[in-house]
Amino acid sequence: MYSSLISASCRRVLAGLLLLSSASVAARAQRLLVPMDDAQQNHLKAYGLTYNAIKAAASAEWLLNYRGGSFLLADTPEIRRQAALAGITTEPVDDKRLAAIRAEIAANNMESVPLEKAPKIAVYTPSDALPWDDAVTLALKYAGIDYTEIYDDEVERGDLSKYDWVHLHHEDFTGQLNKFYLSYRDAPWFIDLLQKNTAAAKRLGFANIPALKKDVAMKIRDFVERGGFLFAMCGATETLDLAIAGRNVDIAQSFIDGTPMDPDADAKMDWKSTFAFQNAHLEQSPFVNAMSDIDGHQVNVPGRRQPLGTFTLFNFSAKFDPVPSMLVQNHRAVINDFYGVTTSFMKADIKPGVTILATEEGAPWVKYIHGDLGKGTWTFYGGHDPEDPSHAIGNPPTDLSLFKNSPGYRLILNNVLFPAAKKKPLKT
Amino acid sequence: MHRVRGSRWATRCALALACVLGSALVPAAAGGAVLGAQAPADSMAFYKALDLETAGKYREAVPLFRAALHTATGGNALLGLERVYTELGCADSLLAPLDTLIASNPRDETYRTVQLRTLQGLGLNAQLRSAFDNWVSAAPTSAVPYREYARLLLEKNQAAAADTVLARARQVLGSTKDFQLELAQARAAEGQWIESAQAWRQALVTADYLEQAAAYALAPTPSASRQQIRDIFLAPPIEVSSRRALADLETTWGSPSDGWNALKDLPPDSAAAEAWSDYATRSETEDRWTFARQALESALRWRHTPELALRAATAALNSGDAPAALRLAPISDARGDSALVARSYLPLQARALATLGRPQEAERLVAGYDRLLTPGAKNSLTRIIAWGWVRTGDMNRARAALAASGPEGDSSDAAGWLALYDGNIKSARTLLRGGTESTPELALALGLVARLKVDSAPAIGKAFLTLARADTSDAAAQFVAAAEQTPTVRSMLLLTAAQLESALNRETAAIALWTRILNGDSDTPEAPEAELEWARLLRQRRDAAGATAHLEHLILTYPQSALLPQARRELELVKSAIPPGS
Repeated sequence: MYSSLISASCRRVLAGLLLLSSASVAARAQRLLVPMDDAQQNHLKAYGLTYNAIKAAASAEWLLNYRGGSFLLADTPEIRRQAALAGITTEPVDDKRLAAIRAEIAANNMESVPLEKAPKIAVYTPSDALPWDDAVTLALKYAGIDYTEIYDDEVERGDLSKYDWVHLHHEDFTGQLNKFYLSYRDAPWFIDLLQKNTAAAKRLGFANIPALKKDVAMKIRDFVERGGFLFAMCGATETLDLAIAGRNVDIAQSFIDGTPMDPDADAKMDWKSTFAFQNAHLEQSPFVNAMSDIDGHQVNVPGRRQPLGTFTLFNFSAKFDPVPSMLVQNHRAVINDFYGVTTSFMKADIKPGVTILATEEGAPWVKYIHGDLGKGTWTFYGGHDPEDPSHAIGNPPTDLSLFKNSPGYRLILNNVLFPAAKKKPLKT
Repeated sequence: MHRVRGSRWATRCALALACVLGSALVPAAAGGAVLGAQAPADSMAFYKALDLETAGKYREAVPLFRAALHTATGGNALLGLERVYTELGCADSLLAPLDTLIASNPRDETYRTVQLRTLQGLGLNAQLRSAFDNWVSAAPTSAVPYREYARLLLEKNQAAAADTVLARARQVLGSTKDFQLELAQARAAEGQWIESAQAWRQALVTADYLEQAAAYALAPTPSASRQQIRDIFLAPPIEVSSRRALADLETTWGSPSDGWNALKDLPPDSAAAEAWSDYATRSETEDRWTFARQALESALRWRHTPELALRAATAALNSGDAPAALRLAPISDARGDSALVARSYLPLQARALATLGRPQEAERLVAGYDRLLTPGAKNSLTRIIAWGWVRTGDMNRARAALAASGPEGDSSDAAGWLALYDGNIKSARTLLRGGTESTPELALALGLVARLKVDSAPAIGKAFLTLARADTSDAAAQFVAAAEQTPTVRSMLLLTAAQLESALNRETAAIALWTRILNGDSDTPEAPEAELEWARLLRQRRDAAGATAHLEHLILTYPQSALLPQARRELELVKSAIPPGS
C-alpha cells in the first residue's frame, strides 16, 4: 500500500539503500576465528566449543598450522555466548580478513580442513570409575564434550558399533589387573576390583579375567578394522597389543588365572594382528611390575625406571599429511614428559609403517604414535596424566581449570576432533 | 588407577629419610671408637685434615685423612675421606681403602655402611648387592646389614626392592622389630597406607623423634583409608608419640578438630603437657584459637605456670570467650609483680573487660597502674577502653577516653571509627585511611567513605555502630534504612545488608536484597557481586539450574568484572567440569 505512494525515483533510491544495507551486512563478521596460539586464554575449552558447534551443525574448519591450529567457526549468537561463558578467545573475521587468512594458508605449510560430523564418543571404563581418574575423561568433562561410558558387557554385546571414537586408558588387557596384586592384594579397592572382574568374566561366559580381556581386545580390534577411531593411553596401549598377540597363549601369571605363564609364551606370540608393536618380550617374572619391554620408562620397576625428559612433536606437511598434522596441532612443539603404567614405546618394538608423532630426542623410545588398521585408525599416547607427571594411586585429581592451556592435554583433544574432519583422499 | 613413583615421591622419601636417618647416623659418625682398635696414638693428622677440609682444601686433606684411618680417630677419618672424595668427584677412590679396612674387620658396621653408600652413589648396583650379601655372610645374626641396605634402597625410591630385603630379614631373623621404620617407609612408598601406619606405630614406640617423619610419610593417604589410619594410631595402649603423630597428620589433612581429639585424652604427665603445648603453638600460629585454648587449658591442669595461663587467656579472648580470659589469667597470678601486671596482664584484662562492655572497670584497672605504663602502652589501653565505651553505646565517654590519650588518640583509627559512628564522613575519610587494621569492616568502611560525596551520613554511622555492638540483625535493617537515604552508595549498603542476612541464614531476606541490587543498581560493581553470592547460595542448596542461570548472566552481562574468573570457576563446579573440592 505504501509503495503505491512512493514515486519511481524514490523507489530507486530505496533500492540503492537496500543494496548498500545488504552489502554492509556482508561486511560484518561472518566467521569467528578461535586462535590456538598464545593469544588463546583457554585452549582446552576451545575444543569443546568447536565440537559442540559441529554437533549443532554449524560450519567449522580446522586451520592446520595456522596460529597453533586455530578453528574457524560460523559467527552465531550461540557460539559467541558459549565462548564468552567459557572464557575462550575468539576474533571476528570479515570477508577481507578471511581472504587474507586463506591466502596465507595457501602459501605456507598450512591447510584448512572442514569439520563435518561430531563423532560419537565412547570411553571404555568401569561404571564405578570417577571421571577424574582418566586424563581423557578429565579433558572431555572440562571441555564440555559428551561421551558414553562402556565396559566389558557393552563391548561383548556389540555396542562398539554405535560409536565413532573409542578411548581406552589404563586397562590391562592381559587380564592381570596391572599386576597390582603384587602391592595391593590386601587393599579393599583391589579386592573389589578383582571380584568385579571375576564376576564379569563368569557372567559373560569366560573361564577367567584374561580370557575375557583378550576377547574384548579382539572386539576393539574389529571395531577399528571396520572403520572406527581408537585412542589409547597409558597401560591400555601396550596391553591391548599383548592381548591380541597372545590371544592363543597363556601370558597371565598364576595369581590371576591359577596357572603360570607359558614358559614359551614369548616365542608363541603372534604379532601379525597387532596395532603397533611386534617382537616384544614379555616380562616373565610375576614379581616384576611390568608387562613387557615395550615401555621404555618402566616406572614401576625399580632399577629399570628411566627419568622423564621432554618429547618433541613432528612437523608434518599439512597439505600432504593432514591426518598426522591434525594430531600434532599445538602451540608448543616440545612438551614435558609424564609417567604412566606405560610411559613410552621402544622404537625397536614398533612395526614398520607406524607414524611416529612425537619422540624424545636421543632416546630409544617414542611417545605418541598413529597408524591405520583396515578402514579405521588408531593413536597411542604413552603416560597417564600430562599435567601430573608422577601420578600415583590416591593422588588428588588434576584440576584442569588450572591447566587450561596444557599442550599435553591438547594432544588428547586433537584426537577427539580428528574424526570430525571431512574425509579426503590421502595425498601420500 | 595405577602405581607410579616418580621424582616427587623420590624427593618426599629422600626428605623424610633425611630427617630420619640424619639423627640415626649421628652416633655412628660421632662414635667411631671401634675403628681405632689397632691404631697408633697419634691422631694429629685427622685434625689437620679437618682444618684443610673446612678451608675447602679437599685435595690436601685426602692424604691426611688416609693417614688417620688407622689411628684412634679412624672412624671419623673414614667419614671425612668420604666427604672430601665426594667433593672432589672421585668417590670411587674410597673403595680400595674400604676393602682393606673391611678385610681387617669384616663385621664393622661403619665400614660396611660407608661401603654400601659409596657403591650406591656410584651406581654400581651389582657390587652394591654383592657387598650387602657379603656383610650378611659376615654378620648373619645382625639386623644392621638389612636395615642399612633397605634404607639406601628407600632413599633411591626403590620401595619394592627394599620390601624384598625386609622380607628376607624377617625370614632370616624371625622378627621385624628392628626394621619398623624401614618397613613403614617402604609401605608408604608403595601406597600401602594401612600397613605403613601399623609399622609407624611400632617404630614410634622406641623412636618417638620420628613422629614428624610418620606424619609426613602418611600425609598422602587417600581419604578412604584415613579412618583406618586413625584407628591404628588411636588403638590402646595410649602412647604420646603416636598420638602426636596423628595430631600432626590430622592437621595436615585439614581437620584440626580431629588433631585435638588425638591428644585430648592423653594421661596427664610432662610428655602429654609438652604435646599439648606444642599443639597449641601450632594452633596459635594458624589462628585456630579454640583448639589452642583447649590444649593450653589441658597443659595448665598438669602444671600451672603464668606463661601458659596468659597464653590460654589470650587464646580464649581471641576465640570470643572474654569471661574465660578473665578467669584464666587473673592478676593475682603475677604475685604482686606490678611491672609484670602492667606489661602482660593489663592489656589482656582491659581488652576482655572492654569486650564484655565493662569499660569502667577497665578504666579503674588501668588507672591503678598508671605510673608503670609507658606513653605508648597507655595510649593503646585508652583506645581499648574507648572501644569498650563504644560497645556500651556511650559515645561521649568514648570520645572523652580518646581525648584523654592526647593527640595520638584523636588521630587514631579508633577516632576514625568514632567519627564514622557519628556519621561524620569527612573526618572518618581522613582518619580511617591511616588505619593500621586490615579487617573486612575497615575495607567496607573505606570503600563507603570514598564513594560518598557528602560529609555527613548519620544513618550509615548508626548502622556501623549497631554492627560494632554485634547486633547483626538490627545492623542489617539499619544498612537497608541507610541505603534509602544515600543513593550514591545504595548498592554497597544493600550488599552489606544482604551479607549480614546471609550470615544469619535468612536466605529469603538476602535474596530480596540481591534482587533489589540487580534490578535497581545493575550498573554498579555490587551487581555482579550480588549475583555471584546468590549463585553460591544456590549451589550450596544444590540448585544447579538456578546457580547456572545467575553465573551465566553475570559472565555475559559484566564481561569486564574482576569477578569473572571466580564466576567461571563456580560455573565449572556447578557443571561438574572440574573435580569437586578443587
